[in-house]
Amino acid sequence: MDVILNQMFAGLSMASILLMIALGLAIIYGAMGVINLAHGEFVMLGAYAAWALQTYAGFSIIVALPFVFVAVGAVGWIIERVIVQRLYHRPLDTILATWGIGIILQQVVRLSVGAESRFVKGPELLSGNIEIGGLVMSNYRIFVIVFSLAVLAASWALMTRTEFGMKLRAVIQNRQISECYGIEAKHIYSVTFAYGAGLAGIAGALITPLFSTIPTMGTGLVVDAFLVVIVGGLGSLLGAASAAVLIGEATALFSMLFNDTLGRIAVLAGIIVLIRFRPRGLFPSNTRR
Amino acid sequence: MKRRDFLSSVGAVGTAGALSAPALLTTIGRATAQGNDIPVGLLFSLTGAVAVVESTLHDAALMAIEEINAAGGVHGRQLRPIIEDPASDPATYADRARRLMIRDKCVSVFGSYTSASRQAVLPVTEQRSNLYWYPTLYEGRECSRNVMYGGAVPNQQQDELIPWAIENFGPRFYMIGNNYVYPKEENNYCKTLLAKHGGEVVHEEYVPLGHSDFSSVINRIRAEEPDVIFATVVGDSDVAFARQYHAAELDPARMPVVSLTRSEVEVKAIGGEAAAGHFSSAPYFMGTQTPENERFVESYKSRYGADQVTHFVSEAAYFQVYQFKAALEKLDPANITPETIRDAAVGLTLTAPQGEVLIDENLHTHLWPKIGQWQSNGQAEVLLQSQERVAPLPYAAYEGQTCTGEGLVRA
Amino acid sequence: MTTRLFYDLVALVIFALVIVLGVPALMGFDGFELNTFARYLALGIASLALALSWGGAGLLNLGQAATFGMGSYAMAMHLKLKASGDGLPDFMGWNNVPELPLIWVPFHSLGFTLLAGLLVPAFVGGLIAMFMFRARIAGVFVAIITLAFLVAFQLVVIEEQGITGGQNGLTGLAPLNVLGWSVDTYGVGFYYLVAGCLVTAITIGLYLTHSKFGLILRAIREDADRTRFLGYNVANYQTVIFCISAALAGWAGMLYTLVLEFASPTYMSVSFSLAIVIWCAVGGRDSVLAAAIGAILVNLLEGRLSDIFVEGWNLMLGVIFVFVVMFMPRGLNGLVGDAWRFIGGRLQKERTISTRPHLQPEPVKSGQEN
Repeated sequence: MDVILNQMFAGLSMASILLMIALGLAIIYGAMGVINLAHGEFVMLGAYAAWALQTYAGFSIIVALPFVFVAVGAVGWIIERVIVQRLYHRPLDTILATWGIGIILQQVVRLSVGAESRFVKGPELLSGNIEIGGLVMSNYRIFVIVFSLAVLAASWALMTRTEFGMKLRAVIQNRQISECYGIEAKHIYSVTFAYGAGLAGIAGALITPLFSTIPTMGTGLVVDAFLVVIVGGLGSLLGAASAAVLIGEATALFSMLFNDTLGRIAVLAGIIVLIRFRPRGLFPSNTRR
Repeated sequence: MKRRDFLSSVGAVGTAGALSAPALLTTIGRATAQGNDIPVGLLFSLTGAVAVVESTLHDAALMAIEEINAAGGVHGRQLRPIIEDPASDPATYADRARRLMIRDKCVSVFGSYTSASRQAVLPVTEQRSNLYWYPTLYEGRECSRNVMYGGAVPNQQQDELIPWAIENFGPRFYMIGNNYVYPKEENNYCKTLLAKHGGEVVHEEYVPLGHSDFSSVINRIRAEEPDVIFATVVGDSDVAFARQYHAAELDPARMPVVSLTRSEVEVKAIGGEAAAGHFSSAPYFMGTQTPENERFVESYKSRYGADQVTHFVSEAAYFQVYQFKAALEKLDPANITPETIRDAAVGLTLTAPQGEVLIDENLHTHLWPKIGQWQSNGQAEVLLQSQERVAPLPYAAYEGQTCTGEGLVRA
Repeated sequence: MTTRLFYDLVALVIFALVIVLGVPALMGFDGFELNTFARYLALGIASLALALSWGGAGLLNLGQAATFGMGSYAMAMHLKLKASGDGLPDFMGWNNVPELPLIWVPFHSLGFTLLAGLLVPAFVGGLIAMFMFRARIAGVFVAIITLAFLVAFQLVVIEEQGITGGQNGLTGLAPLNVLGWSVDTYGVGFYYLVAGCLVTAITIGLYLTHSKFGLILRAIREDADRTRFLGYNVANYQTVIFCISAALAGWAGMLYTLVLEFASPTYMSVSFSLAIVIWCAVGGRDSVLAAAIGAILVNLLEGRLSDIFVEGWNLMLGVIFVFVVMFMPRGLNGLVGDAWRFIGGRLQKERTISTRPHLQPEPVKSGQEN
């Protein structure tokens, strides 16, 4: 019984990390239909930004989060302005261009910071565990779960409760008509892309105490994050969240029954079948495209 | 319309021809052109996933070459390092190894960390009778006459470690490794030792290379409550494992991780605090107190930065270059080929940072195994040092097979 | 014969002459250089296979590396069995496999191996294609499904170490022996074998693009629904081109194993699969010939750049690639086409101006009809 509970918590923890990474991707994909393969590198940039802030300015990760968000967001904004913006009418090409951007970001970091793995210290405050019976939960992982939910809520509020969100939704519905009403679609897209990149940066900063910080760390993450977005459905935040929980828990379950490799294979197979029968995901939004 | 199509297809061919012409295709003969130098290849990944470790091996080997050159070279000739970056990809290893051994006519190539990359280089080095100096600990069961193995094989790392671990912590072992041949072979050998010394395996599992979420593994460890975690997790997987193990507050005094792969590089990334209290078995630690090591560490730090660390693979990458030099010195300068270097290297002793090492006739190296406990400053305290140099037995787990100077012999 | 086909054939002949005569002569028939170039040629086949489905039918297959890997493993299994003689392949001993797995047994035969290297990828490609296209999956989703399949497939290959050799792949292979000819991978003969395969593959590709089949595929690419309304079974056409593309990729994989003398699961990695897409995009996805040239050029460039700039060549590759995607969406093929159009336009203009005084403008020939 304890094993199952612990495993469920492990699944939840994986889900929260997946969600943090996938959220920015879901927003970018939902708003612009851009498959951003450089997203993993935004995560990596966030991790390195957290490392730099900690090493040179002595910031703890939690203090560093807003700075990381702004810094990676700015990188995203520039990339959108210079490259991605020119490709909105060629969705398949954005896959390729963002893959190239990913290579560039990776190499820039490697050449400037070095290939070695960097150490980022977790926050003192959140070390330790909470134990309830046989269930042992690491405080830091609990924090990540709560934080990811908070970011989800904030993103939802941004989309539905602010003027910016309203404009964004208008542009998603119909770009031309929105522009007729004086909404600057270009500007909206840039900010949205920057916001998505910033979220990825936060995700990167948050996972540094648990993972290894190296220039190639993003490559593996982006595929998983993508699957979350696709399973969740086009541009649906709630969908992305449910998909993350589903995939995290499924991975944990299979991993308990078999092993981690088979767990991953089974989840991938499940996802392929799911896309086949529900290509618009579990929770498609009702926007007309 | 049609003409355009024609022109574009023909033109594309034309561009290909024009571009590929002289500049791209004719670079043969570069190796022998530069007079009297001795070309040696350096084949370590500077980019990609393995670069974390291999770049340090590259640095150590390059430093040795430059030291030798600064001291006047060999027979008055300079060693000329030819650097290639195989980008952590086995196919690229094979391609770059061909360049170094065939095109650049290197008499020896120093390179690589993973088993997969060594195996990618093997067909070329064996066919071309070249010499590949491989500094990494590995799984054994290989007996090539064209590879100089500078790292430990299972018997050198485990023979002392396993009885010691059983005695100090208990007999119940939990095996965790990455899913490839190295961890499996180490575990195979570990099981024979456990059977001999009255230990048992409570669980054995393998995670994919690069795996980064160990929550399920940690839950299993918590449930099984083993005495020893026997780890053969490599690279950033090991970093993630150690950090999450620490975050889960599993006590190293009660369930220590005993690793064959964790070195100063990994510990630096893990953070001293999370690594403290766990153990590694290796022939070299950065804190080894020998005059050779002090010199090695000092020049490494002054060259690459005070925050840099040396470890048991970079040490081997370093001393192998000196072994190569010593072999060259025994040779007639007119007769330097990979085969003569190999034959001169057999039986050679050299005082390496870890102590005096000897090249066995099976081309593996006699080493000084040690068991170290990691401290919060990122260094290991050596708890146990082998009394004598340990001979390499790459087929130790398999009765009736021995690797000798004539290659593999089956009884 | 249409004019377009005629010109494509001329281009093919020039290309064939360059790689059959020009390249070996430039390299002085040096064994090492030919071996390296043979590798690029093998990758050219993988790239043109992708051009058939991507450029020809608009199906971006990000799992191309999986079918490539199947071919390469088929060949490696045959050569491994030959290297092991009567015994078990060595890695099976390491993995405590008692006897040869059934799936390995038929690979003793070279004929079976060659067939399997083509048909197994085709079969698997066909299964996935049927699975997807029957449900009218299109666009980005094709890319995602094939990508997920690739990741899962690579995991399976790495996991099943007893059969596949796991992470290390299949190494220690014997040389290929065809009808008494033992293939020396550094020989001129081997280079011509690979070059011949590439030219044949391009010919097949050209034939397909110029056939009615290729025309219908282009129609599907432009608008699947309209093609469906015209009575064509879109899913079947898509499935067939997927199979052919997979078989060609398998063929490329077999040659690749021969060149490098080992098979590795990294041939089925996401980054390798995307690399194929890059080559194809750089060359020009619309033309099989251009795609093959793209693969050869990028690899050649990579080989040379990595020699000169050991540290920075990856960065340059990224920059070049982004540049190509942004400004040359049709690849080199399109660029060259535009350049000719520009020059052609200038010539035309000059001619019109020069003829004006005579008030007898010559009709400008615009080529024959299709």
